[in-house]
Amino acid sequence: MNRHSSVAVTVCLLVTIVACNPGGGESGFRPMEPGKVLFWDRQTTETADLLRKMIDEFNTGREGPAVEAQYAGDYSDIFRKVRASIQARAVPDMAVAYQSMTSEYVRAGACLPLDPFMADPAAGLSSEELGDFFPVVLETNRLPQFGGKMYSFPFCKSVLMMYFNKRVLAEAGIQQAPATWDEFLEQCRQIKAKTGKSAYAVSVDASTIDGMVYSRGGDVIDGNTTLFDSPPAMDVFRLLETLAKEELAYQIPPGSADDKVAFSQDRVAFVFRSSSHRTNMTLLMEGNLDRWGIARLPQADPAKPTTVLYGPNICIFDTTPEQSRVAWDFVRFFTSRENTVRWALATGYVPIRKSAADHPEMKKFWDAWEYNRTAFDCLPFARSEPTCAGWQEVRGLIEDAETAVLSQLRSADEAARELKKAADAVLAAG
Amino acid sequence: MIFERILGPLDSLFDRIGRRKTGDAPLAAFLLVPAVLVLGVFGIYPLFFSIYISLFDLRMGRGAFCGLENYTEALTTPNFWHSLVVTLYFALGTIPVAMALSFLVASALFRIVRGRSILRTVYFLPYVTSVVAAATIWRVLLNPHYGLVNAALGAVGFEETRWSQWLLEPKGVLYLATGGLIPESVGPSLALCCVILFEIWHSSGFMIVILLAGMTAIPRELEESARIDGANWFQVTRRVTVPLLSPTIFFLLIISAIKAFQAFNSFYALTGDGRGPVNATQNMTVYIYASFFLNGREGYGAAVATLLSVAIVALTLAQWRFVGRKVYYE
Repeated sequence: MNRHSSVAVTVCLLVTIVACNPGGGESGFRPMEPGKVLFWDRQTTETADLLRKMIDEFNTGREGPAVEAQYAGDYSDIFRKVRASIQARAVPDMAVAYQSMTSEYVRAGACLPLDPFMADPAAGLSSEELGDFFPVVLETNRLPQFGGKMYSFPFCKSVLMMYFNKRVLAEAGIQQAPATWDEFLEQCRQIKAKTGKSAYAVSVDASTIDGMVYSRGGDVIDGNTTLFDSPPAMDVFRLLETLAKEELAYQIPPGSADDKVAFSQDRVAFVFRSSSHRTNMTLLMEGNLDRWGIARLPQADPAKPTTVLYGPNICIFDTTPEQSRVAWDFVRFFTSRENTVRWALATGYVPIRKSAADHPEMKKFWDAWEYNRTAFDCLPFARSEPTCAGWQEVRGLIEDAETAVLSQLRSADEAARELKKAADAVLAAG
Repeated sequence: MIFERILGPLDSLFDRIGRRKTGDAPLAAFLLVPAVLVLGVFGIYPLFFSIYISLFDLRMGRGAFCGLENYTEALTTPNFWHSLVVTLYFALGTIPVAMALSFLVASALFRIVRGRSILRTVYFLPYVTSVVAAATIWRVLLNPHYGLVNAALGAVGFEETRWSQWLLEPKGVLYLATGGLIPESVGPSLALCCVILFEIWHSSGFMIVILLAGMTAIPRELEESARIDGANWFQVTRRVTVPLLSPTIFFLLIISAIKAFQAFNSFYALTGDGRGPVNATQNMTVYIYASFFLNGREGYGAAVATLLSVAIVALTLAQWRFVGRKVYYE
């Protein structure tokens, strides 16, 4: 290739690259699979079967594009995939998302506000219907940093719970699950002393840390500044430090279910997981309901309990008006009273409507085991986690801090201070 | 046959167009088109595009031109340097050990007459096994509570210590080995050492096969005459085998260094997210991945990717310059 040809090829290449305009001239998105209302979800096994069955019922007899659920990995996988699809400007019609994820999608201009759908006289929700939802499950979807608009709708809701193994507690001579954090630590020590077992298998998780802070009467954010150096947050890290130093707790590999396995084998007394793990835990405990129980998180003040509201919402992406409309219709269908009860009974998620409490099937289920209603009873005082953009990155920092304390790489105070500094920097960068 | 049918008429066509002036160049250019297209679309274009977007503060596909800010940010961010250090530890931990081990195994296999093919296949098996599948098995083996490794260590009387945390341990091996005399941030973490061990196990098969092929090409009479002159195994290896094998070793060195700097699958599959405990296994590629897909900063991720490419090119040139000189070509 001579010099002129080289220059020509280089110029062509540069023109092509610049023509791609990475700065973002193109604003619209297109559906990933036109003619289909694609829904990216994370349900597996029996719950996925139920979801598909409900989708089939929704699609039956309807004209226009049909809803199709696609398993897209866990929540983090879905977040990564949606991000990649936004970069490619070809998005699914719906996806499950936590609020911090939704904020990122909204920031990219990919998510539709749901207020117009909700206010639609024909296909919206009446004020009575809206009043039937627990306020916390609706409010958590309003994003203050984006004009307080609803950018997602509650889909599968659950709360952070403490699972306790009655056999291990009995071995240590403990009759009742702890109600306060002081009791929790005391019981952990008693279990170690009497049985030689670690009391608590820790699944490192930012939401659990948030829940522990809330249950101590604290908060994790104030405006755009985190509160990880506040006394309640420091106390959480100090508790973890004590648990690790005294070998009362151990960390399980990320993403594994080792804590639940250890729990089912009577090797630990406590596991902190969302209430949605109830069905899975029942299977692991081979249906023996006398061996274990579910309680709300230990609290600093049991008279003012708090826990974390878990569970994804569903957001609708800006594909085509027709497909977005079908997506909204599906959201409305899925969150009807009958369906929220049906979903809760089969999955371990909590029903998101107040009227579910009067549903005969729900009552029957709650009467079947004394702990079946515990999660639902937590809903009135459950709190959602921060929704601001950047929080998703902060979650990773929280988990790093937790791991650093559990592995005794950092002291509690060091980890909390470093976390605050790093998290504030992320939030400040916007 | 097919090629003849296609190329024959093409050759005649180019003859008619006027081969006398241009020789075989038009036909050669024509035949190169598919390869150039593939390389251009999937290699050259992404490379230049990556450099281009590294000049933008791109987040989720949108962002303004920011010049060299992403590069400045990368070079002043501790996480970038940490990931570079992890990458260097990984390269230094895998390449020399894997090459030495492979050389020893290849030498042994070369001398074995019966069963050599079977053994060669056995050693090559890890390389053809999917990284994800193999890493999943390793994760199970190294599980602190249910893993076979800890069970075996326990059975032979080893107490449960911090060593037993394996992939969950962010502290340095030197810290653990010296009981805390060396700071925990010095040297690779235990989690990273597990990844290094996995990579050695996984990549050795390829090196063994290449080295065996190289050894086969060495004239036997050279080694035999050295032995007749009284040289022992070590002397024969040092004075005859290694020099004659140096082009093969040099090839493996270049390939392994590039692979080590680009390693991603083993990190991701072994640790679940690539980063490991407190970023203990976050190498450059994982850092790029995190910048792109976890933190949604494509411009910044592209800048780090460009810096990584520069580092790889520089390393390869340095290898040519300093190691290439010592290669003996017959």
